[in-house]
Amino acid sequence: MTSRRTRTALLLAVVAVIGSGTPSAQGRPNLSGTWKFMTSTPANYPGSNGWGVPSPTIVVTQTATDFTIESGQFGATPMKVVYKLDGSDTIWEGPSSSQSGSTAIVKWRTKASWDGNRLVLYTWNTALNQMRDIMTLSDGRLTIVRATEQPGPSTSATLTYGKGS
Amino acid sequence: MRRILSLPAALAVAFFVLGSSASLQQRTAGPASAKGGVGDITGPYEVPDPKWPEWAHPYPKPGYIWGSQGGVFAESPNRIYLANRGELKLPDRVPNNFPGNWGFFNQQAATQPIANMVNTIVVVDGNGRLIEAWNQWDHLFEWGRGPHQIYISPYDPERHVWVIDDMRHVIFKFTHDGKKLVQTIGVLDEFSDNEDLTRLRRPTMMDWLPDGTFFVADGYGNTRVVKFSRDGKPLMKWGTPGTGPGQFRTPHGIAVGGSPPRVFVSDRGNRRIQVFDVNGTFLDEWPGIAPHSMMMSADEHVWAVDSVTDRIVKFDLTGNVEFSFGQFGTRPGYTWAMHQISADQEGNLYIAEVFGGRTQKYRPKLGANPTHLVRGRTLMPMAGGTR
Repeated sequence: MTSRRTRTALLLAVVAVIGSGTPSAQGRPNLSGTWKFMTSTPANYPGSNGWGVPSPTIVVTQTATDFTIESGQFGATPMKVVYKLDGSDTIWEGPSSSQSGSTAIVKWRTKASWDGNRLVLYTWNTALNQMRDIMTLSDGRLTIVRATEQPGPSTSATLTYGKGS
Repeated sequence: MRRILSLPAALAVAFFVLGSSASLQQRTAGPASAKGGVGDITGPYEVPDPKWPEWAHPYPKPGYIWGSQGGVFAESPNRIYLANRGELKLPDRVPNNFPGNWGFFNQQAATQPIANMVNTIVVVDGNGRLIEAWNQWDHLFEWGRGPHQIYISPYDPERHVWVIDDMRHVIFKFTHDGKKLVQTIGVLDEFSDNEDLTRLRRPTMMDWLPDGTFFVADGYGNTRVVKFSRDGKPLMKWGTPGTGPGQFRTPHGIAVGGSPPRVFVSDRGNRRIQVFDVNGTFLDEWPGIAPHSMMMSADEHVWAVDSVTDRIVKFDLTGNVEFSFGQFGTRPGYTWAMHQISADQEGNLYIAEVFGGRTQKYRPKLGANPTHLVRGRTLMPMAGGTR
């Protein structure tokens, strides 16, 4: 009897350990909220580059299927951008600033996927702007490892946001 | 102690100086001549037909014009591959003297505001008449900025056509007729850092050893050269960010040749060419030039096209400058940001311009010094006969 109880307890313990190591929708962080920009490395990123500039405030809404960001980091004007979390493309038309500084209506494309507890977001538009953000949540801070592509050299930076109101 | 100007500062100075020069040209030069300026504009060449290639003049389709020309490769005098980075809508009103190339508008980026990715890869004959348009592959370039460069390895009897797409982080390998995409080097839309051999970040240019081994400059995002086996397996890489030996800031052009073979890398952001053995051991650096592109000629010289001065420079393999010509401008014969050059077996030179928005064909002048001509490497005979 004691032996059976011990075996059952051990089995439950094993199941619990395995279960905790398996990424699940429930185990992934919820990044929803209003986030205030704190720091970037390098500082003053991305210099004169008008694409990928850290927005002072970003507002995130996360559901089981979508991830939505409202911010000005996509160019000259604040935008609401939706990413599907199943890795599929979302394509729409909207304004974007171009390399020459003008604004035009262009095609946009986004997609997202989870890599463990890291959320990987891709954004493209046909004004030759591309951005990859890798988001993680730790100690109440949102860290974004950002990489952008435009004509000319690529850029990379780590951005830190704290919870805002 | 050598002081290196930062690339943005250097470009700003260059464009200011060269822009002033362009204004002078427009006041003094004739409408279709390469006169004026301060140097030898076309060297041993002349431009017989400013409206070459015929198929794109006046327009590929009404209201649209060629945009940035990323690459050109002359397989023969009658089979020239052109790599176009999309077509641009013309302004509603264009002046009567509009010559047909985007550079006329003096806007630098010939990819704005939106480049329609059509006719991205076309093949023309010596007269510029359209032979093939590989429109079946236009979709590959839709979310990037179009083909960056186009090549055929001189050592490939099947004459596959290689096209680099920097902003989608891949290199496409097509059959000679363009009907099949047989291989993709890198992962479409994915990139990584210098340590990752399976993914590239903004690859720019490539060249081959006779055994089919090839080297890729990688590129705008990473700061390295990647060496691949003839079947496309990554073998090794070298390079880190910085300004020292073996370090790069935008390694953009690459050429391979010599005996023993060496790898010549245009370290554009550091305004120099670096020289390595085929395993990445640093051998030498040649300062003072920031090439967009380089090519190894049949007579084993490195021809480099300088991004700052718009000059074509002939180096011997120890770094001595033997000859140079060319000047910034938008009139026939001048160039604006040469991005790839190629020469056919009859001595014609083709130059693709990313800012000028055109590809020009240059013909050797009568009596031209043959050592001043760019000589393209002979291609291996094609299995089953050449086209």
